[in-house]
Amino acid sequence: MSCKLVRRHLGAFVDGELDPATQIEFERHLEACPGCQEHLAFESSLREQTRASIGDIHAPDHLWGRALHRLDEIDEARAEHTSLIHVRPMRWRQTWPIAAAAAAILIIGGVVGLPQSAEYQGASMLQDVVNMHSQGLPSDVRAEGPQDVVRYFQGKTPFTVKPAQFEEPSMKFVGARYIKVGARPAAALYYNHGGRRVTLLVFQSPEIVQNAQRTHVGGRELYYYNVGGNVVTIRRHEGVNYAFFGDLDRPVLFQLAAGARVAY
Amino acid sequence: MPRTSNKIAAARQLFEAEARPHLDGLYSMALRLTRSPVDAEDLTQDTLVRAYRFYDRFEAGTNFKAWLLKIQMNTFVNRYRRAKRERQVFDGPMATPVGEGVMSRASMRGLTDPVGDAQRRLIAREINRAFEELSDEARAMVLLADVEELSYKEIAEVVGCPIGTVMSRLHRARKQLQVSLQAHAVQLGIIEEDDDDVEDPIPLEAFRSRKALKS
Repeated sequence: MSCKLVRRHLGAFVDGELDPATQIEFERHLEACPGCQEHLAFESSLREQTRASIGDIHAPDHLWGRALHRLDEIDEARAEHTSLIHVRPMRWRQTWPIAAAAAAILIIGGVVGLPQSAEYQGASMLQDVVNMHSQGLPSDVRAEGPQDVVRYFQGKTPFTVKPAQFEEPSMKFVGARYIKVGARPAAALYYNHGGRRVTLLVFQSPEIVQNAQRTHVGGRELYYYNVGGNVVTIRRHEGVNYAFFGDLDRPVLFQLAAGARVAY
Repeated sequence: MPRTSNKIAAARQLFEAEARPHLDGLYSMALRLTRSPVDAEDLTQDTLVRAYRFYDRFEAGTNFKAWLLKIQMNTFVNRYRRAKRERQVFDGPMATPVGEGVMSRASMRGLTDPVGDAQRRLIAREINRAFEELSDEARAMVLLADVEELSYKEIAEVVGCPIGTVMSRLHRARKQLQVSLQAHAVQLGIIEEDDDDVEDPIPLEAFRSRKALKS
């Protein structure tokens, strides 16, 4: 066994990753070779120094608590989800033949003016969002290039409607529809998430997030409301609200909302 | 639904007990990957959330830490960087070839037995600097192997590549670290320069022909 070979694989030797026979051969060589012993001492020492130099980091005290808080939300969503399955199967089947059974809706909403009290408006708007999802109206524009969708809504809505894009490959853009939320023009964008329908409502209304609960997911600020056992999740981007609504688990919805991009 | 909530609570308790000891490790890895305390906290938290959601898919008896780190690595790759380009740089023709005998005997001695706390601290700082200069891939290798002390097989699973690739990447990463360390250590006068004992680089074929090595 040559020194070259031993030194080349000294790392694996120190890691204990050689097969037993080779390990023994290495040891035999090292016993008789001061040069390689020096390399071994260096390799081992540097390993220890590396561990000591870059390994000694402690998580901030609040981090575990923060994480547990998120786990609480998952537990809640799971409990809710379970109860949904128990209570509502019949209604689902009656209302939604086959495809809709697994339907979920992601709603991107447009802006809505609020002539009445913000709170009342907010509530009725959320109801619109939920209804929009339930009705599952057909698309005005099919899934074409995002630019086609942008063009379709030009002049219809007082803001630019851009279909959100998602990192999740299972999230496919299906089509879009011009709608009214409250009395104001808005856009409903339809997606398909692994066989489930998701609707995203795009609208403008700074008020809607005023009474919303807030959370952070993946560095993004999200607002959300609990509506009849489901959650409407809202992300704000350049003064426009993107409201996601669905029968998805809350964490899934949050991840989708946090991962959405409209950066073109 | 008391039965459901009991089940949820039991799983939760188990998960917390298993995950808590690895919080520092996850955060440390996250910090090294993202290089930002804020992102590191988010990444760690996302990792725990994902791990909890997929907890039923964890195979009992396998290394829980490795499983967590795998989730974290995937989360990081998906969210915090454009993976492809960097990987090409690391694996492609731009990857720096590293010879074998780049470390002189005097350098080795100086770094093997640092004299006194001051020198020890100086070397620790230099290791940190050299480490930060490595590519994401190389840093991940060093962290997983040298700090988290995962086996090559576990690293292969975490990173998602064959064990042979782990071996060569890890080797290359350590060599890069050593070369960078030596160059600065000589400059700073921590160790003396010494040109003797420099060997020829071993050709790649020699490495590939390693037959007796564990796979």
